[in-house]
Formats: sequence, C-alpha cells, structure tokens
Amino acid sequence: MAAFEDDLLGLLPRLRRFARALARDAADADDLCQVTVEKALLARAQWQAGTRMDSWMYRIMRNSWIDTTRARSRAAQTFVAEAAGLGVGSDGGGEARVALGEIDRAMQALPDEQREAVALVLVEGLAYKEAAAVLDIPMGTLTSRLVRGRQALMAHLGEAA
Amino acid sequence: MTVDPELLMAYADGELDPLSAKRVERAIAQDPALAAQVERHRELRARIAGRFAPVAAEEVPDRLAALIRAAPVALPVRRPIATRWREAIAMAACLVIGVSVGLGWDRGPVTTQGGWLYAAGPLATALDTQLASAAGAVRVPVSFKDQAGRYCRVFSAAAIDGIACHDATGWALRQTRNGATGATTEYRQAGSSDAALMADAQALMAGDPLDATAERTARAGGWR
Repeated sequence: MAAFEDDLLGLLPRLRRFARALARDAADADDLCQVTVEKALLARAQWQAGTRMDSWMYRIMRNSWIDTTRARSRAAQTFVAEAAGLGVGSDGGGEARVALGEIDRAMQALPDEQREAVALVLVEGLAYKEAAAVLDIPMGTLTSRLVRGRQALMAHLGEAA
Repeated sequence: MTVDPELLMAYADGELDPLSAKRVERAIAQDPALAAQVERHRELRARIAGRFAPVAAEEVPDRLAALIRAAPVALPVRRPIATRWREAIAMAACLVIGVSVGLGWDRGPVTTQGGWLYAAGPLATALDTQLASAAGAVRVPVSFKDQAGRYCRVFSAAAIDGIACHDATGWALRQTRNGATGATTEYRQAGSSDAALMADAQALMAGDPLDATAERTARAGGWR
C-alpha cells in the first residue's frame, strides 16, 4: 500500500477523536469520519507530499462538519425539530457516565466557531498557530474564540470542576 | 499590570515567549485571582482532553479502514495536450536509454521489434490474459482505449511499471519506469509512481477506462 494510505490509516484514531469533539454523538462522528476519508481519497491529487497530512485532514473534516451542520440547520428550519435531549450516554450508569455526558453537553452548547477552536487546541493538542492555520483565521481570532469557548465551558461545568 | 484573558489563557497553555511569560508570572504573584484563573484553565484543559482521549485508543471501525485499503488510485485531472506531447517525447527518450541500459535488450519482460520496444514473456502474457481485478506478480489495474483507438493497459510488475498499447505486433511499451513491487530507492516515494502513471494514462486515454465487461470483450477480441 502506498505511503498516502498508510499515513491516512495512521491518522484515523486522531481523526475519530476530533470528530467526536465536533459531532453531536458517536454515530454522527463516525459518519463524519467516513465522509472525510472519502473526500481525502478523492482529493489525494491535491495532497502535497512533505506537508503535514494531519492539518490537511483536520481541515477537510472541519469543512465537512460545517457543511453538515449548515444543511442540518436549514432542515431544522423547515421541519419540526426532533424531541430535545436525545440521549447522550443513554445506556450504562454511574458517576463517571454522568460526568461524561456533562462535558458532551457543555461542548454541544458552544457555538460552532468556539467548539472547533476548543476541539483543535484542547482535544487535539494543536498549538494556537497550527489551529489558526487549520481554521484559516488569524491568531487573534483564534485566541478570542478559544477564550470565550473556555469561559463558557467553565461556566457550564462550574461546580463540577 | 493588567493581564487580559487571552494572555492569561496563552500563559496557562504554555504559548507565550519567555519574556511575556515572565511578565505574566510577576502579575500572578501579586494577584491570587489570576493564579486561580490559570489553574482553572489547566484543569479544564485536562478534563476536556481526558474526556476525548479514550476515543483515540478505541479500535478503528473496520468500515473506515477498509475504505482506505480498498481505495483505487484516483485519476488526476487531464492536462493540456501540448504538455502531454512534450512529456511523451521526453519519456520516449528516457525509455530507450533506460530500458536498454537497465534491462539489456531482448531479455526479461521487454523485447525489440523493428526498433520499438514490446512486452515479452510473462508480462506479455499478463497483458494478453489478465483482467484488472486479478492479483498476481503482474498487476494490470487499468485498461483503456487511446485516441488512436488502440487498447492500452497500465501494468505494474517486479522490475517494471508502465503503459502498453496493443498494435499489430503486440504490446508496444509507451512508458516504463522501475517497478513498484521490487526494491524502491529512497528517491522514489511509494505511491508516487502509481499516481504519476495514472496521470499519464489519463492523458493518453480517450473517454473513460474500460469497465470489467468491456475489458472481457476486448480480451476476447485479442485487444484489436
């Protein structure tokens, strides 16, 4: 198998993690992964060997996610929204489970532009500069979105922290 | 000194240069509220990272990995004809020098007929009989018709990769390069030849590649 496919396979665990931080649940996250991989394979001629594949893949995933959420919000305006509170962490139990649900809900509550900044820096561990490059925004914009996102998360998770 | 929230966050994340970090540290030393804020940033970071870290440790679902393993090599966009001719001429020159030096005449997978290079031996057999779907020592991943209406096939074998087109004599080699299956040198990245070869095939191609049915029909008709 060629180096391109090998590198892509190696990135899958991180891409799945990033997807989970962006998407509203695990099933959506894996759908997002699939779409992202399909797009990357189609666009492989545009991939420049020697540049960072992780940044390239994060960008493809982030753009796919934005496309999906926009399409979904258009649909939501047309149709009656699904019943609210559809289960995050619906099975299992115990303190840990509840705590996980809490973080997920706090992430969901963030505006998209804050959530993607949080996902890249806090979840994926990218440096500010790298995250700004993936999102194609200036550093100052990234830090202001990131700080607002973090303040919102702190407020949400407040006492539990 | 006032420390704005962005600066404090950047300090907590270790994003500041040493000089700025020192200044923030001095401010923190005088203000317990700032110190507490830095601590909250770090706690939040650890909590969020900890929530998603197990996802990266999960086994990747088969359907995702299979998608990548099964991926055909995409055909890149066609390039202008002028470029193709220049490349074809350059390639032809390389071909004659490279094959004659590298393989010796009339040995291995290549033979000469009237000054042209043709596939021989197992390579010729594979080109004659093997369908794109088959695995083996020689792979023939793509078949197509060129602009002159000849059947052409992209092949990949131990010593040699290339494109061959069928004429009255046999499989004339249009392009060859060192094989992908054999030893690779550090100068040649795995996969780059595949993509380049597919690009060249795309340039020669009239219409689309043959599907499995068209390929069988062509084979049954002796590729004429």
